[in-house]
Amino acid sequence: MQKKICMLGGFAVGKTSLVRRFVQSIFSETYLTTVGVKIDKKSVVFPDKTVDLILWDLAGEDDIGSFRVSYVRGASGLVLVVDGTRAATLAVALTLRERAEAEFGAMPFVLLFNKSDLADRWAISDREIDELRQLGWQIYLTSALSGEYVDDAFRQLASMVAK
Amino acid sequence: MTSTVDPISLPKRAASNDTEIDREALATLLVEIARNVDPDYRARFEGVPTADPRMETLRQLLVGREISELSRVTHLLDEPEQLAAAVGGVLPSAAARAPHAQLGEALAPAVERAVQRSIQKSPRTLTDILYPVFLPAIRKSIGEKIDQTFQSLNETLRHIFTWHGLKWRFEAWRTGASFSEVVLKHSLVYRVEHVFLINRNSGLLIAHVAADNATSEDPQLISSMLSAIQDFVKDSFNEKEQSGLDTIRFGELRLWSEVGPFATLVAVIRGNPPEELHEIIRDVLLRIHDECSQALEQFDGDSSQLASVETQLQTCVELKQEDSNQGFPWLVVAAVLLVLIPAGGWFFLSWQSGQRWQAYVSRLETQPGIIVAEQKVRDGQFYIAGLRDPLAADPQALLSGTEIDPARVHSQWQFYQSLDPKFVLQRLTASLTPPKSVRLSIVENRIVAEGEAPDTWIDRARAAARQLSAGGPVFDISRVRDVSPEARAAEHWQTYVSRLEAQPGIIVAQQTARGGHFYISGLRDPQAADPQALLSGTGVDPARVHSQWQFYQSLDPKFVLKRLVASLTPPKSVRFMIIEDRIVVVGEAPAAWINRARVASQQLSADGLSLEISELRELTPQELTHLREAIQAIDIFFDSGKAIPGPEQLPVLDKLANQLKELAKEARKAGVTAQFMLTGHSDATGRETANVSISAARAETVRALLKKRGVDPELLLVRGAGTFEPAETENSRTGSSANRRVSVTVNFH
Ligand SMILES: Nc1nc2c(ncn2[C@@H]2O[C@H](COP(=O)(O)OP(=O)(O)OP(=O)(O)O)[C@@H](O)[C@H]2O)c(=O)[nH]1
Ligand SMILES: [Mg+2]
Repeated sequence: MQKKICMLGGFAVGKTSLVRRFVQSIFSETYLTTVGVKIDKKSVVFPDKTVDLILWDLAGEDDIGSFRVSYVRGASGLVLVVDGTRAATLAVALTLRERAEAEFGAMPFVLLFNKSDLADRWAISDREIDELRQLGWQIYLTSALSGEYVDDAFRQLASMVAK
Repeated sequence: MTSTVDPISLPKRAASNDTEIDREALATLLVEIARNVDPDYRARFEGVPTADPRMETLRQLLVGREISELSRVTHLLDEPEQLAAAVGGVLPSAAARAPHAQLGEALAPAVERAVQRSIQKSPRTLTDILYPVFLPAIRKSIGEKIDQTFQSLNETLRHIFTWHGLKWRFEAWRTGASFSEVVLKHSLVYRVEHVFLINRNSGLLIAHVAADNATSEDPQLISSMLSAIQDFVKDSFNEKEQSGLDTIRFGELRLWSEVGPFATLVAVIRGNPPEELHEIIRDVLLRIHDECSQALEQFDGDSSQLASVETQLQTCVELKQEDSNQGFPWLVVAAVLLVLIPAGGWFFLSWQSGQRWQAYVSRLETQPGIIVAEQKVRDGQFYIAGLRDPLAADPQALLSGTEIDPARVHSQWQFYQSLDPKFVLQRLTASLTPPKSVRLSIVENRIVAEGEAPDTWIDRARAAARQLSAGGPVFDISRVRDVSPEARAAEHWQTYVSRLEAQPGIIVAQQTARGGHFYISGLRDPQAADPQALLSGTGVDPARVHSQWQFYQSLDPKFVLKRLVASLTPPKSVRFMIIEDRIVVVGEAPAAWINRARVASQQLSADGLSLEISELRELTPQELTHLREAIQAIDIFFDSGKAIPGPEQLPVLDKLANQLKELAKEARKAGVTAQFMLTGHSDATGRETANVSISAARAETVRALLKKRGVDPELLLVRGAGTFEPAETENSRTGSSANRRVSVTVNFH
């Protein structure tokens, strides 16, 4: 079974890095901004089925106006990515989700606070994260650098969209 | 008659009309009810009055509400306007609920008729409605048509003047097709390598089929990327149309896509596909939509429902047009040539060969020593006859450059001796073989010999000159000088020199013969043959020879060996061999001689030569061996923990000292040095370090005692072996007296 998944979030929050970590298990410090969209694929194997995630890594836009929502058409789930060292990127991620859902209806998502390895520059309070968890959201503190929780987050989303 | 009425049977007696009630039945029913209420009531009812107002009242009581409801509905049904309003209210939801197929079927004729009527009435309305649908379709179709036309125009132009062009014109004429169609058919070489069916909504791959041998990256990824590209282009250039991107070209590859309502079909084509292929692909997509429209619409990443699609796609990847290159039409060309060659070619060839023959004949005629008497050409054959000097050029060989077929040339040559001075000279040279010092030349029709020659040759030349035929050229030998005696002496000298040069150990540097004297200088090894002695028997007069020889040492192994033997005076038991460049000594020799040989070998190796002495065995004289064995059998024993031997060992020490001294003397006589190793041992009691030091101390003591007895201390070496070389294995608790000792070993150098 294939499922289209979109990576949404502000620029340089680590969408591409998370996909690379998840798909190829590698990480690079260099920042090459994504233009348009980059597509990758990874199979997630569950005991009873295999889900091929087709990951659409979209260019991050902090200016919501230029976000190309049409790329989200047909997606089964979203990965919302926030840069844990830049508090403003949370609002960006949530707005992007609203745009996508307004256009194509509600769909499952996971919310990733990325760059968890940069603890000294962390800008999101635990209270804020707890409040979001209260809403029943699936939230992960990931690091594309160390790989922490990256697989877990994608697996979780895979199981959610495969239902 | 029974008074009971079966209540169940009542409804069966239906009323005679819809307003009238069956009075009789009703009366019976009422009586029955009354009888049940009061059993004494037995009244029989006789007859029913035809009209009874109470009846009406009863009816109103029982079913008054239903009656009014009924009349409302009846009214509704009867009034068309009201009915229309009511049905209109439920029609949309009724239509939505009806099974699709049936509804479609039921509506189709009516809709068709309606459309027909509408068009008849005013075509404009429907045109306006359909305008947004038609326009893109028409635009697309016109675009394709134009592409098609251009393509065929291009191809036509390309092929119009080629051989293919002619062939295809013929084919067009034969099949009745247009020329450009034929051209297209042959020149559009292509192959559909992949077909992707892609969900329009999500870009997910529904099915993928590849031609044999066609490879690609992960089709699922490609599928998503293709639709991302479509999105990207649409977004970037504000393209609002449904049609999407229908052609991507990348070198040899073309991606053609056809967009359907739910799925897009993308064909990857290698080569140059005809525009009609668009239609074929479109048809396939249409069929897929017809067959599986529901599954396509509901596609959610799971393509197991759509397995049948693959067979449809398969028909696409089988599309191809092979390169129908049939090669150059050799047969046709050959046939044309076959007709042409005999006609024109024959005339040309026979004329040409006649020309060639004449050229050949005139060339022969100018050759010295060849006289052409007669020649003719008949029936393509050539005949020639004449005289030729055996020394003249070979007429057959002259043919080879002319392209005249030698098989058609029939020659008849008689030999004769030409008196041309050139040929006479050649014949003289061949018969006299003049020495290098003589030169023969032609001077004004005479043959002149000049230079120096021995008397024997001059005699032969003179005889030849006499035999030359009269009328021919004269052979003049008056200018040849007789050089016989010097020549012979020089010959002898040369023999001598080459003999010297062949001698090993002699290097001739310079030699000359001047004024009847011979001078030679060079290098010679003292061991080489004497040059003077070699003179004898060569015929060279020793008095005329002046030699200057420098001595040198030849590195030739033979000479090296000679020198070695001279300096080393080897014993008889030793043999030398030369193996390749090495000198190898084998056999037996006293140690002293071996030492000298070793020194010599080291010196030689500095000169890059090698003398191998590893095969030499040391020769020890018989007495020495005996003495050595006697000495090595002696042990000096010690008490436990003592480093000084007890008094009972003193006679043994005396005897040992005498034997050592004698052996040292004998050895010196034999040219070797004897050395004695005194090895101290201990028993295994006590610590190992202590054992090693006591064993060394014992050996030292014995050395001192032997020195005191007159043994040269230079010859005595000492070592402690601890418990490591026991004379017998022992119980370490008690120790072993046999192991507390000093032993002696003898070495010769
Ligand atoms: N330390 C750390 N750096 C990260 C992590 N994830 C991403 N980065 C760095 O952040 C920068 C941006 O990463 P990208 O993955 O390119 O970000 P993006 O969201 O794809 O950016 P756009 O494509 O421009 O939207 C890069 O220099 C990454 O090396 C992380 O988990 N930890
Ligand atoms: Mg990126």
